[in-house]
Amino acid sequence: MTSTPLVLKDVVKTWELHSVGPEETVHAAMQEMLQKNCYTLLVPRKDKHDAYGIITKKDIVSKVIAEGKEPKKVKVREVMSKPLVILTDLTLDLRWVAKAMANSGVSTIAVFDKGDFYGYVTEACILEGVYNSLRRAKLEQGTEFVSC
Amino acid sequence: MELRAIITGSKPVKILPSATASDALMSMMENKTDYLLIDRTAPNDAYGIITRWDLVAEAIACGRELANTPVLDLARKPLVVMNNLDLDIRWVARKMRNEGVSRIAVFDKDVFLGFVSDVDILRASVSKTRTKKGAEQ
Repeated sequence: MTSTPLVLKDVVKTWELHSVGPEETVHAAMQEMLQKNCYTLLVPRKDKHDAYGIITKKDIVSKVIAEGKEPKKVKVREVMSKPLVILTDLTLDLRWVAKAMANSGVSTIAVFDKGDFYGYVTEACILEGVYNSLRRAKLEQGTEFVSC
Repeated sequence: MELRAIITGSKPVKILPSATASDALMSMMENKTDYLLIDRTAPNDAYGIITRWDLVAEAIACGRELANTPVLDLARKPLVVMNNLDLDIRWVARKMRNEGVSRIAVFDKDVFLGFVSDVDILRASVSKTRTKKGAEQ
């Protein structure tokens, strides 16, 4: 790996996630996921005292389809994860971001900076960051980048 | 809907069992895939699989050097397999949940037909509801 360690700020995605309302059906959430090709949806909060929620493809497969429930009859709020797993330190080493993911068993972590929503980080973001740093290291060494 | 109907038959990208975690990462990024099939070394050996999650949770989170970590230390081997093509997708989803995986290899007798993923199940479930609605109308 490179001499300067990768930190959370290097890999975080700052655009917003698509969202789905808590009272919508799981079927609507699935359609949204397939249309947008984005398998994580944010569930907005009712007011400032409420927490944000999140619904992923894994929630739907394991809590709705595997249970034989009808996706049109189940509401998003019944299967979502709430509150979010969050990180607030943008200078955290990437290793500990990965560890936080592994410890809580989630693939998307929301990132807050000084109380405001800053973005989110997924397992794909982490791998992309490591991949880019490996490539940079090889180019800096002067060796031609050879694919495996 | 049955398992038979959701098999896409896409060919997985393979990697040698002697490769390292950094080879696996390079191959995943270059082939734009989130999993690799680990080839077997002998006819009586088992196939393995390595996913994005394995790299993140087993290697990066543990602070292991990717270039020195053999891919087999992180991989899941043998694969989770299913061979009853007439099974309802509900039971495929249940198998994924029980085994804690998002991809299951499907075999018909000895023939490997491909992997079924959680996204395939979502897609099938949405189209099933659509077909039912169409039939009602």
